[in-house]
Amino acid sequence: MEQREKKSYRPRPSLTFNMAPMIDIVFLLIIFFVLVGTFASAEHIRMDLPNPDESQARNEKLSDRAIINIQLINPDDDTSPIVYSIGPNPPEPLEVIDRRLAANKAAFPDLKVIIRADRRARYADVRAAMEIIADNGIEMMNMAALLGPQPTGN
Amino acid sequence: MSNTPTSTDTIHFRTRRQRAPREQTALTLNLAPMVDVVFLLLIFFIVTTEFRRPEGLLASRLPTQSGQASAVAIPISPILITVRQTGDQPSDYQLEVEGFTTAPRTFSDLAGFLTEIKDNPGFDDKTPVVIRAADDCMWDHLVGCWNAAVRAKFKRISFGQGS
Repeated sequence: MEQREKKSYRPRPSLTFNMAPMIDIVFLLIIFFVLVGTFASAEHIRMDLPNPDESQARNEKLSDRAIINIQLINPDDDTSPIVYSIGPNPPEPLEVIDRRLAANKAAFPDLKVIIRADRRARYADVRAAMEIIADNGIEMMNMAALLGPQPTGN
Repeated sequence: MSNTPTSTDTIHFRTRRQRAPREQTALTLNLAPMVDVVFLLLIFFIVTTEFRRPEGLLASRLPTQSGQASAVAIPISPILITVRQTGDQPSDYQLEVEGFTTAPRTFSDLAGFLTEIKDNPGFDDKTPVVIRAADDCMWDHLVGCWNAAVRAKFKRISFGQGS
């Protein structure tokens, strides 16, 4: 009996999970996402922007700027009516946007305006926004478009 | 040789635990909380990341009311580009450059066409380029025309009234 007990006693090999390779990969993934990701600005409402061939648009950061978003109410319908909004504000009538622009212009004399219009918006709708920009004495207007391959040299 | 302590020996009291042979404990780092946090971060990034093409800006100047009208007419005749929407699809458009019999078909053709015009005598990069379109024309087409003019290195580009 005593002998049997002695035989049954064996040190059990400890079952451990080697987590080092997994942690390596997880860290690599996190570093990838941190480097690649840029936090979306609330001003940049998601919309289908113009996508010109060999886009000459430049990735610029403007100070003293106001963004006018012109988006379709129903993005799935090409003929949907459009709404205007300034930056992250909810959609507003063009008259309200006109007043807001005037106030911004008074606060920042070098105000620049960025028009972010859906590519399917009609020219008349975008021109209406351009007219209030010009009426407020704002000279610099920028049009948002998707970036293409970056120009080389010159 | 007796083991009995003499009056000069010092007796150190040792508890049972101290007398027991010490087991060497392995110094291990508990990775579980770190792995938890790292996984949370990973899930956050995977869920929130959205791959989008970056956007840029095409700069332009608008005519303001503060400027005074020029007393003398500018003798440079602008290049007038007209873009028409010919259907419901984004690819349904027609381009026309006023004063030229051949019409470019695409915006890439337009860029090449404008580059050729610019090299002709009487034209340079300061020749005004005016883009005209009807009210129902898609914004994408106007930006396409503007982009073509920028590609052709024209510097004075503007939007005109509807055609």
